[in-house]
Amino acid sequence: MREGVSAAGPKAVVTRAVVIRALLVAGLLVALPLLVLWATGGLGDIARWAAEGQHDAQNALARAIRSLRAGEAGALLVLLGMAFAYGVFHAAGPGHGKVLIGGYGVARRVRLLPLMTLALVSSLAQATVAVVLVYAGIAVFDWTRERVVGAAEDVMLPASHAAVALIGLWLAYRGFRGLVRGMAVRGHVDDHGHEHGHGHVHDEHCTHRHAPSVEEVAAVTSPREALALVAGIAARPCTGALFLLVLTWQMGIGAAGVAGAYAMGLGTAAITVAVAGLSVWAREGMLSVLSGHRVARALPVLELAAGLTIAVLSVMLMVGSV
Amino acid sequence: MTLIRQTLAALALSATSAAAHPHIFIDTGLEVIFDATGRAEAVRVVWVYDDFYSLVMLQDRGLDPDGDAKLTPEEEARLSGFDMDWDTDFAGDLYLLDKGVGPVALGRPHDWSARVEQGRIVSIHVRDIVTPFAVTDAPLVLQVYDPTYYVAYSILGTPLLSGPGAAGCSVQVFEPDLSAAQEELQAMLQEYTADQSVEQDFPAVGANFAEEARMTCAKG
Repeated sequence: MREGVSAAGPKAVVTRAVVIRALLVAGLLVALPLLVLWATGGLGDIARWAAEGQHDAQNALARAIRSLRAGEAGALLVLLGMAFAYGVFHAAGPGHGKVLIGGYGVARRVRLLPLMTLALVSSLAQATVAVVLVYAGIAVFDWTRERVVGAAEDVMLPASHAAVALIGLWLAYRGFRGLVRGMAVRGHVDDHGHEHGHGHVHDEHCTHRHAPSVEEVAAVTSPREALALVAGIAARPCTGALFLLVLTWQMGIGAAGVAGAYAMGLGTAAITVAVAGLSVWAREGMLSVLSGHRVARALPVLELAAGLTIAVLSVMLMVGSV
Repeated sequence: MTLIRQTLAALALSATSAAAHPHIFIDTGLEVIFDATGRAEAVRVVWVYDDFYSLVMLQDRGLDPDGDAKLTPEEEARLSGFDMDWDTDFAGDLYLLDKGVGPVALGRPHDWSARVEQGRIVSIHVRDIVTPFAVTDAPLVLQVYDPTYYVAYSILGTPLLSGPGAAGCSVQVFEPDLSAAQEELQAMLQEYTADQSVEQDFPAVGANFAEEARMTCAKG
């Protein structure tokens, strides 16, 4: 391939640019609808398939736990494998973790690798929260299983939805601010020709630069924002992981349960990392069809729309979960 | 604006319906019991819990400590009724629709028992039909579903029809028609207006995604 490019010269470079552009546009056509449908549960068949897969994995997991307790060889490996599968299927159904990661990936011009890392980290943090909750609850405070699961579902679940809703509102607010600033700058230019924009561009002869640049709008993600994202997802431990942890603690095979909870987390991460990839593909596809200065205008709109979607969905979920 | 509102309504519906993951899976056996005059008077419900939740339940209660998945009669007696302490507003995840429409009032559960078969908890209870009635060729629809989708139900085999008046009746289980259910959801959203509560309408939609049994009886 390389030789072909050098031999054909500029023409091949152009062709490659066209191919890349086409791939990005495909992101808009393929990834975006898929993402929206998936995140909102529109794919009834996938949700059903995921539930059936989870059912099988759940039964196999129970059998693996029984064999482990009976001291059968290789049972731990089966347990870990089934916990991983459980995580994959459980996450393949719609859920707020994907809504948040996907929505964030669309809203902010965050790069692919950091977003995927964020997805992985939040899944593992979710497993950690489950472990801490169960061991603090049962081992330290002597809670029953019902109380532990109750705490997760009645307190932590609404709290997690609220946190995610706030992140959505924050994104929407940023988008709104960007939009207003963009309009103010454009209005200014229209009225007064060569006047300064809001003082941050000091080149009188360059009015077309008065709108915020792509780089300015797509400000680098702060560590605090990343932390909020992880916390929003991790604050709600998976009930399946809680069941597994309590069960194995009661049976005296707690270490296997902790390992299983992290295997579930990795399974969940497999899906959320894929969603992160899809969301970046969809967003770049959307932006690739716009010319340079329009991208700067589109970014705040995307941010506003994705932020509002996250916020509205989370509030709905919160109302449903209280 | 209509588009935005409809999109939001669709998001709201799908969020409430599908965002909850099932954590418990129950295969449900149903038996419609008839009285001597041919009226449907009660439904016996058999819940077969999944392996995992069964294990959680048994372990929680300290039952089956040797792990052989066999309970002694004393242990069975202790397990019995573990899932029968219902809140007053819990509908038992069983819905009967007379002629496919009208909801049929059901009484509280009674005559319950529980046992373990192949590691799975089998829990049985009976619900009386408050006003027994004769079923005609317009089907009596039986649905099992959890509106919150915390429990995923499926119907086990074909429901049984028992009692002296069951002759001439037949029953069949239908898979949910997902595309039809989606269409109905769309149609409902078209009619959705701002003063209607999407939440309130939700259970009817959820039922469209559940398996159901339809029972008819020949006239005469």
